[in-house]
Amino acid sequence: MSDAADVQRVLDGDVDAFARLVDRYYERCARFAVRMLGNRDDAEDALQATFVRAYRSLGKYQERDKFSAWLYRILVNQCRSIASRRSQRERVFIREEAVLLNAPDRSTSWTGEDEELVQRVLAELDPLLREAFLLKHVEDMSYEEMSALTGVGVSALKMRVKRACDRLKTRWEYIKDE
Amino acid sequence: MSDELSALDPSVQDVIAEARRPVAVDASARRLLMEAVRAEPRPRRAPILAWFVAPKRLTMPPLATLAAAAGLVGIGVIAGYTINRDGRAPTERASRAAVTPQLPDSVVPRAIKFVLIAPQASQVALVGDFNGWDTGATPAERQPDGSWATVVTLRPGRHVYSFVVDGTHFIADPAAPMAPDDGYGQKNSVVVVAGASS
Repeated sequence: MSDAADVQRVLDGDVDAFARLVDRYYERCARFAVRMLGNRDDAEDALQATFVRAYRSLGKYQERDKFSAWLYRILVNQCRSIASRRSQRERVFIREEAVLLNAPDRSTSWTGEDEELVQRVLAELDPLLREAFLLKHVEDMSYEEMSALTGVGVSALKMRVKRACDRLKTRWEYIKDE
Repeated sequence: MSDELSALDPSVQDVIAEARRPVAVDASARRLLMEAVRAEPRPRRAPILAWFVAPKRLTMPPLATLAAAAGLVGIGVIAGYTINRDGRAPTERASRAAVTPQLPDSVVPRAIKFVLIAPQASQVALVGDFNGWDTGATPAERQPDGSWATVVTLRPGRHVYSFVVDGTHFIADPAAPMAPDDGYGQKNSVVVVAGASS
């Protein structure tokens, strides 16, 4: 069943149709949130806020927009809000190991040292560079899609992605040699 | 691998490959999420949108159809007389009482001009809570100085709006206060239309 059909079903009162939308997008959104925020606790907060907010606002969603793009717009904004609140309370990024001990299925996600290193180099990026890099190269969006989602111009986004790649290259080589 | 990706430095490709791996999130988190969703009131279609999307069948006898068509032409003619030769509606210059004499001052609509300087744009539209955020409802006109302008009649009160440049880019009005975050990653502006007595 298509996203649009599920949205209509939800608006007709079928909450299970929303569960299907959650199932369809949860893992993708979870990956973005974890990579963006650096830990699963904040990512889970962002996911919950995103989907609840999407549910509340579903009446305003218009079919001419892709549901995934609409959902991502909410997710990106929630991640920004949580990152902003976190920086205000000066929480340190690296808590990942302790959280991973509680991860239910480490075999599918924990591939050892490299994931931790990737989280480290991503966390060292400026949040706007990290967001642009993840949307472009991890979520595989076009610059036009990113622009519609973030409200930032295509040329500025290209510059952010390029700067992110330059910094990642330098840091990745340095960290791997440590 | 796409050309775009293969053109990147191998170390960046390594980072991307690792970052694309799925992450494990506690299964209970998804369950709690759906519990939170089920506790929410049922979402409803926006009233105006619901009216437009609801299927409707209008049946009229032939004479009634002719009468309705004549009525629409009449409305068009009246509207034509009420627009000045420079294209401005009378609310921009005439007294409000002349437009809506039966309304108290506190609810008399006022004509508000919105301007965005965007000489590179090929089209600009105004969207806001007053037009259902419809990007096709209120196009702005290019001005000789490179700015874009449109006039909208608004009731007194607070209105949230944004410009849409070239159909996709939402841009807040640089000359107006920002609205609080709307939760959709979009920056909006606020205009407060005063009542006549304020």
